[in-house]
Amino acid sequence: MMPRRLRHFLFALALVTSAQILFAQKIAIVADKLYTMGAETQGQPGVVLIENGKIMGVHGGNEAPGGYTVMHAVYVTPGLIDTKTTAGISGAYNIPADQDQDEQTDPNTADVRALDSFNPRETLLQYINTYGITTVQTAPGTTNPIAGQAGIFKTVGPKTLGPTVDELEVRPVSAVVFNLGESPKQFYGQKNKAPTTRMMTAAIIRQGLLKAQAYQKTWADWNAGAKKDPTKEPSRDLKLEAIGLVLRGEVPAIFNAYRADDIDTAIRLAEEFKLQLILSSVTEGYLEAPLIKQSGAAALVGPTLQRLESMETNNASLEDAAILAQAGIPVALMTGFEAYVPKNRVLLFEAGVAAANGLGFEGALRASTIEAARILGIANRVGSLEVGKDADVVLYDGDPFEYISHVTAVLVNGKVSYQRD
Amino acid sequence: MRASLLFLAIALSLALQLPTLSAQQPAPDPASESPGTVHSRHALVVRGAKIYPISGSPIDNGVLVVLGGKIEAVGPASSIAIPADAYVVDATGKILMPGIVDSHSHIGIIGNPPVTANVDANEDSGPLQPQLRAIDAINPATAGIRIATAGGITTANIMPGSGNVIGGQTAYVKLRGKTIEDMIIPGTIGGLKMANGENPKHYGRRDQAPMTRMDVAALARQEYTKAQEYKRKWDDYNKAVAAGNKEAKPPERDLAMEPLVQVLEGKRIVQHHTHRADDIMTVVRIAEEFHYRVVIHHGSEAYLVADELAKRHIPVTLTIVDSPGGKLEAINVNEHAAAILEKAGVKVAINTDDDINSSRFIIREAALAVRGGMSEEGALRALTINAAEMLDLGDRIGTLEKGKDGDFILLSGPPLSVYTKVLETWIEGEKVFDRGNPADLHYATGGYDVADRYPRFNAAAGAGGAQ
Repeated sequence: MMPRRLRHFLFALALVTSAQILFAQKIAIVADKLYTMGAETQGQPGVVLIENGKIMGVHGGNEAPGGYTVMHAVYVTPGLIDTKTTAGISGAYNIPADQDQDEQTDPNTADVRALDSFNPRETLLQYINTYGITTVQTAPGTTNPIAGQAGIFKTVGPKTLGPTVDELEVRPVSAVVFNLGESPKQFYGQKNKAPTTRMMTAAIIRQGLLKAQAYQKTWADWNAGAKKDPTKEPSRDLKLEAIGLVLRGEVPAIFNAYRADDIDTAIRLAEEFKLQLILSSVTEGYLEAPLIKQSGAAALVGPTLQRLESMETNNASLEDAAILAQAGIPVALMTGFEAYVPKNRVLLFEAGVAAANGLGFEGALRASTIEAARILGIANRVGSLEVGKDADVVLYDGDPFEYISHVTAVLVNGKVSYQRD
Repeated sequence: MRASLLFLAIALSLALQLPTLSAQQPAPDPASESPGTVHSRHALVVRGAKIYPISGSPIDNGVLVVLGGKIEAVGPASSIAIPADAYVVDATGKILMPGIVDSHSHIGIIGNPPVTANVDANEDSGPLQPQLRAIDAINPATAGIRIATAGGITTANIMPGSGNVIGGQTAYVKLRGKTIEDMIIPGTIGGLKMANGENPKHYGRRDQAPMTRMDVAALARQEYTKAQEYKRKWDDYNKAVAAGNKEAKPPERDLAMEPLVQVLEGKRIVQHHTHRADDIMTVVRIAEEFHYRVVIHHGSEAYLVADELAKRHIPVTLTIVDSPGGKLEAINVNEHAAAILEKAGVKVAINTDDDINSSRFIIREAALAVRGGMSEEGALRALTINAAEMLDLGDRIGTLEKGKDGDFILLSGPPLSVYTKVLETWIEGEKVFDRGNPADLHYATGGYDVADRYPRFNAAAGAGGAQ
């Protein structure tokens, strides 16, 4: 037993050391292999300088200037971006109290926002933060043909609990989500409500888009007119306003589709209404790569470690992301929704599987960082370690994708959110 | 005991039905034969690989000799004589290790895709189903079995689900053959699936018993109490017969009681689904009351009672999942669980619980255990010999030693690397999976049902640059 005074001293020292990193304003991260995902040669020794939550400098070598708290790692990458997940709105306990991803009362819930269910303190968000995921696009679940509005948020880790959703938001409304395939017709079908077929799912979506077009025109006419008679002012409709966002191209339309013909349907509807299309899940996308390429859509692929629970996921391939990327389609990775055990997939693990199955190390890293940021329209803030961007950084003790490597530290907005003991 | 004799008879007749080739047949040139049939006439020799025998240290430039489905020799090239007219596989640069033993799987009993028509895991008509046999529902043609061989699995314990207090009799099988009779390991009768915690309580939602953990335990104890009485009647009868009493009448057979008596006699191991620490200790309490052998399955919180399990020598087979949660009793799932159990001296295996985890990724689970602090040696044992021992098969599979079954896999690189691929899977000297064969490849990558439409893709060339 060490003397009490010594123990107190060591404890205080440990506190000071960890506090230094936790509250440091100026941090230099020194990497044996630095992957900035910027223009320079990747995987070289390098240093990232952080001040007030932003990246202030990046240079080669292993020399940190004075005045910085130094952190060292074997590999360093930008924070990883999960491009579509229910983390934050679908909790770990999987009981009604913590499940807020699917408003299963109406096949058109365009008015609901992930933002309004997002719980920054959710266990699963902290959990994925410890695996280097610093940004998530959290989206409503798979039940409703018109499911609602996704939002993009930063994650908090075990050391940064406490912020409100407003402090974490990158883009509070980032997309409107549409669902095709089995999920909608399965849920409403068992209640003898529409949709009970894929035909009806598409019809509900087209009807929603048509109504929103008419709604836009009504407002345009009112705004263009003299607005003299206030009794004739059109009433607001939050659903039609939300759908209007994709009609005007202010946010992309994310169509979740697994089976190849559902992917075709997504492309057909997007072309009819001139939507900026992002496909998600894209399970059988590898069978349709030329068609997807031609449509101009981006693909959020995954998860490939998922339970293959349905007809439409039965043909999932570990090579999906690689085949789509090789066809020239912008590809990022996603974890989606899990209904049971395990409750959440981990983007780092998904990226590892993609890396090992044709996408390659740098391909998988791009799909989890800069390419993800570009597809989501947030590359001005995240996705690479470049001057002026948010200081979202992940440190590893080996190849990030190796099963037996560890994330040793994670920084979000320049603050250490996780540090391995 | 008549019931166990019956099982022995069934097992023997199964063994006799296995395809055998007469030794009198003329031996053709091995090069002209497919490797699938050659073993019964010629030795199969795999040379050049780094061999992980699991029973000892890795062997560089090793040689494995399989004859008649059994391991004839294993060791460094310098010490093994290669028999004349052997069928030789050059595995230079590859890794060779024993076929993986999945101690908890539902392949074949939950089909692909797992839509209702293909799912036969849980008989939801009542919580006590000891008379049910997994063999009566396993579909050997299901894709899941081939997917498992693509993951390197050669032996599986295929189990009924966890919806019942007693779910039924499990099956110890090799992943080969057209019928379940081809698959069953001769001489084995399987384990008994039991469950406690949240899952069996689902009856409560329809106002049926059990709706509490108290009753889950009470139902199990009640059933074993009945089995003790049933066993006594048969023991009395058998004693009377042995004593020459020709008037003795046999008691009526009870299909539900017979497997429970096998449990009480130590011939059948209870394979017990359980997660929460207190549920695990309930399993231990009841096993000790009735003096039966038990393996803890999943054991999400086993690490919290590691010392209790270690001192009782109760083994744990873990299902290592990507994240905590999904159900309350899995909320404390912890990356370090395997390491904590290993350090406490608990025997640990690693299973898929397919379809919770895909059988393709069983090696990945072991690697995640190493990420959490388990030794690499311990993780490889958890995939092989430890799992085999939990099925009473440790003398037959799980290591590469003379006399054991010729079940092995060839890997492209270090066993626990994400970049390593299972290249070939062999069972008793016959190849059941070959990644180089287009008909097998898509069981590894996915897309096997659309193989005719699968695009030409060279994964090795990559799409995004080398490391």
